[in-house]
Amino acid sequence: MRLIFQKLLNGIAIGSVYALFALGYTIVFSILRVINFAHGAVFTVGTYLTYALTGAAFGRNGQLRNASLPVELNFWLALVLGALGAGVIGVIVERLAFRPLRRRGSDPLLTLVSSLGVAIAVVNILQYLFGAENYSFGETLGSMRASVTVVGGELPVVVRTKQIVIFVVSMVMVVALTFLVNRTRTGKGLRAVAEDLTTARLLGIDTDRLIRLSFFISGVLGGIAGALIGLAGSFNYQFGVAIGLKGLAVIVLGGLGDIPGAVVGGLVIGVAEAFVPAEYNAYKDAVPFVVLLVVLLVRPQGILGRAQVQKV
Amino acid sequence: MLDFLNSQGTIYVSMVLGGVLGLSLYLPLLAGQLSLASPGFYALGGFVAAVLSTRTFDVEGTYPVHLVLVEFVVAAVLCGVLAFVVGLAALRLTGIYLALATIAFVEVLRVFTLNLELTGGAVGIFAIPQPFGTQLSYLWLAGPLLIAAALFTWRLEKVRVGRAFAAVREDELAAASMGVDTTRAKITAFVLGGVLAGLAGVIAAHQINTWSHRQASFDASIAYLAFVLIGGSRTFLGPVAGGLFLTYLPEWLREQAKHEFLPTWAAEFLRTGRFIIYGVLLAASCVFFPRGLITPEFLARIKRIGRGGGRPRGQDVRQPEPETVA
Repeated sequence: MRLIFQKLLNGIAIGSVYALFALGYTIVFSILRVINFAHGAVFTVGTYLTYALTGAAFGRNGQLRNASLPVELNFWLALVLGALGAGVIGVIVERLAFRPLRRRGSDPLLTLVSSLGVAIAVVNILQYLFGAENYSFGETLGSMRASVTVVGGELPVVVRTKQIVIFVVSMVMVVALTFLVNRTRTGKGLRAVAEDLTTARLLGIDTDRLIRLSFFISGVLGGIAGALIGLAGSFNYQFGVAIGLKGLAVIVLGGLGDIPGAVVGGLVIGVAEAFVPAEYNAYKDAVPFVVLLVVLLVRPQGILGRAQVQKV
Repeated sequence: MLDFLNSQGTIYVSMVLGGVLGLSLYLPLLAGQLSLASPGFYALGGFVAAVLSTRTFDVEGTYPVHLVLVEFVVAAVLCGVLAFVVGLAALRLTGIYLALATIAFVEVLRVFTLNLELTGGAVGIFAIPQPFGTQLSYLWLAGPLLIAAALFTWRLEKVRVGRAFAAVREDELAAASMGVDTTRAKITAFVLGGVLAGLAGVIAAHQINTWSHRQASFDASIAYLAFVLIGGSRTFLGPVAGGLFLTYLPEWLREQAKHEFLPTWAAEFLRTGRFIIYGVLLAASCVFFPRGLITPEFLARIKRIGRGGGRPRGQDVRQPEPETVA
């Protein structure tokens, strides 16, 4: 029982950040009906930016050997600025890989490859500048305690402070995004564009601005997710790839383009991973994809989605 | 001259295999199926070769070529059966959903080969015996495979089965109502692609001497898709050209770093930053050549030039094809 509770907490912590990451895919998919394969790269950029803003130095292998920024922000401020920076990168990705193709009405598949081209470029720029070594945030949470005991006694249930931070920040962002989409004028515009891009444009909505905005939000969410996952362990220039793939499993599970679905999907995958028995730990990485396959075959509209009628 | 060719042998063989892998993605696409499963079958074929040659066949000295042919048969059967099973389940999906399902298939396969003892776990299988003394000699296997696959694909588009593929691609419902067995057409196309990727894997495993789970990666899925889209997805020559060209590109960039006249920083960039250039070119070619480098119109123009005709007389009133892939 105690073990189940502990695993559940661990799963929710990691699942909430999967949800955060996957929301970045979702918000772009809901509008453009394409998957932005550069999202994993933007996520990685967010991690590096946050790391640099905390004043930490880079290693010896890249072009910027031992360089560090002249500022030394605390983790929270660095997180916010790093996420905004990742948002800007998201907008640049849109400008380079999406807009030129959208203008011509090209096949969405081409956008998939062009966004991946940009992702390859971005990730390799990171490697070129900062090297291939692993980085980790130091004792960045200042005077906070390392862990909190949820259930005391002989067999305590312990939650690391970093897990709580991850969960709380993720949930705050999810709530903020839900508010933005459902309760504001901009959100109404985003929903209109998601419903039908052409009609929204005909009705006088500045669709290009909203598409840029969606990429910015997507980048911010990805950047925060990156810094949070980086906080929990270590990271290198490639660490967006694995989470990028897991994010695909999350959004399919939740139903492509479905915001509450992405949150539920993230939590389900996080918890499912946490409950993999220790002796099968090596197979943990396959869990999201087994889930993905099963969902696609049994319920392709996702757990919260409604089946769409195929019209001829 | 021969020395030069030999020193470049590895890359030539990889290029030819790139062409084969491009075709392995093109075949399902003929029936309108965007499958990114090729790296899975490629990895599986390689493991068949690696396991059979290091464990089953105990050979002293040079590895005989006829055993490679035996591996071909085993890999083809295994990949074919697996593709049939995966295809039965996955081909109910279309478009991006099918692409995601095949990505998931590749990942699941990768995690299993990472953990199974048979496939050498995380380090993979080492010291796979070589049937040839030089890298360039592998063209004796890879070359005929590419030529056979290309001829097969070319002919396929002209016979009944291939026309059924095209019908399914253009309009599945209409094809079904005309009596085309659409499920059968889709699965045939999927199995053909899987078998072809598996055969490429057999050669690659011997050629690069070691084989591990890393061969089945998402990056590879997209790289092969790029072969098709950048090369051109409307004629079988497109994926072949794309595979040859895009495999060569990073190597070519690295070669350029050796030029004396380059300043140090530029040479350094070409050596360690060449994948930045690769990524930029990938994105740029999507933007500037949305229909790929080799299109049916391009081929028609070459034919006309070949006949000495130049531009055709009169106005060409045909509508250009829309920029679609599948």
